[in-house]
Amino acid sequence: MPIAQLAGNDPSEEKSKTFVFHDEGHTLGNVLRCVISSYNDVEFCGYTVPHPAESKMHFRIQMYEGRAIDALKRGLTDLVKMCDHTIEKFNEELISFKTENQLNTEN
Amino acid sequence: MASINDDKPRVILNEFKTTQNIPSVLDQTFHIKTFKKNLRVVIVRLDNLELEFDLIGIHPFIANTFRRLMLSDVPSMAIEKVHIYNNTSIIQDEVLAHRLGLIPLKADPRLFNFKVADSGENDQDNLEFELKIKCTRIKDENKDSSRIDDIYKNHSVYSKHIKWIPNGNQAETFKEEDVGPVHDDILIAKLRPGHELDLKLIAVKSIGRDHAKFSPVATAFYRLLPDIKLTREVEGEAAERLQKCFSPGVIGLRHLKDGRTVAVVNNSRYDSTSRNVYRYDDLKDAVIMTKIQDHFIFSVESVGSMAPDVIFTEAVKMLKEKCMSLLDELEQS
Amino acid sequence: MSDPSTKDSATTKTPMVYICGECHSENEIRPRDPIRCRECGYRIMYKKRTKRLIVFDAR
Repeated sequence: MPIAQLAGNDPSEEKSKTFVFHDEGHTLGNVLRCVISSYNDVEFCGYTVPHPAESKMHFRIQMYEGRAIDALKRGLTDLVKMCDHTIEKFNEELISFKTENQLNTEN
Repeated sequence: MASINDDKPRVILNEFKTTQNIPSVLDQTFHIKTFKKNLRVVIVRLDNLELEFDLIGIHPFIANTFRRLMLSDVPSMAIEKVHIYNNTSIIQDEVLAHRLGLIPLKADPRLFNFKVADSGENDQDNLEFELKIKCTRIKDENKDSSRIDDIYKNHSVYSKHIKWIPNGNQAETFKEEDVGPVHDDILIAKLRPGHELDLKLIAVKSIGRDHAKFSPVATAFYRLLPDIKLTREVEGEAAERLQKCFSPGVIGLRHLKDGRTVAVVNNSRYDSTSRNVYRYDDLKDAVIMTKIQDHFIFSVESVGSMAPDVIFTEAVKMLKEKCMSLLDELEQS
Repeated sequence: MSDPSTKDSATTKTPMVYICGECHSENEIRPRDPIRCRECGYRIMYKKRTKRLIVFDAR
């Protein structure tokens, strides 16, 4: 079960934060990093898996303005949208491919 | 380099280096709106076990995440515990157990739950199988035959000998042919008279990150679409030489009316993008080899429990669920 | 594993079964019995595999 935690940061400093993701790795880390670092108000975004034997991922966001946690939330929502759109497009294509080739369209 | 002035982002494969025609897609910012506008999916080939499709207009990090998810985050069922009551064969207990674990099962993982440590007896999270077999000598028949099939009974143990034992009301929800091994001719062990196997096998649901046997795909990979262009006419012997520099079917030979034979690009999609052309000084300048940077050719090969298209959609759903549960947790805190 | 006193009484009551290395016949041998196959007289004997359940991880 993945849990997002805040590592020992100064709570008053909302602009830059390191989040610790349990049971996550490069799979989520890299997409999320790429998505978030493309936002205009993000100064820096990076991730690391500190040790390969521990399934932990550290995720750092530094903002020009605004809260780091908001950028994280925005990144996650964008990924959800991205997934929805990909599934939608894939299923459309799958159905048209199957009808074209007269494959059964079950499941 | 004049002929590659289109707006597609390309990697140009030169003799000793790679260059790009426009700034890399890696530098382009991700925007959900442009993503939705640009994404195209084209399915090229689909059968029970294999799927080839193109994802066009996506960033490499998205492609890579989908690949990683298919390999190690989409669950499947595999034998996890082997209860050995008797094994007098020459194959060692632990080796036998390991071999059994790697047998792909047909059971649909979507119909099962992940095993929780203290769930106890539960027909929702496991499948039970039995493997009871004993090798004996066939007495009377073909006394002087030396064929192994004539002398011994059950001398080879195959995956077809694995029998499913329904737990709880599994008998109503599943059929034997829906849960057993994908292939019935996997050799598990070889026996000789007096050797005996008496095993109980427990299969559970897990993911490829836990152990490779739980990965639902044999392979899942992507590559960039290769594009090969000829900048000038190549004819005669040189054309044949050019054809041999690429994978079969990439370069075709066209016989012209005036008797000349010239090389044409038939289909650069299945080229292995080796740079063999650059070995020939006279052919170097005739070819521009490029790859389209945002055109990913995915190839998914299912092990057999789920259709390959289902594996891909499951992978995308996994990412979505991951993000949703993380968002939930962020909202709560 | 099990404590030695019960083990001793068990061994005297139920004889161990050994398999002959030559003719593969099963022999019951008690403590102090000569280690010798009753069928063929061969002196190399192998212990039978335990019937106790062993659980392995298929990894």
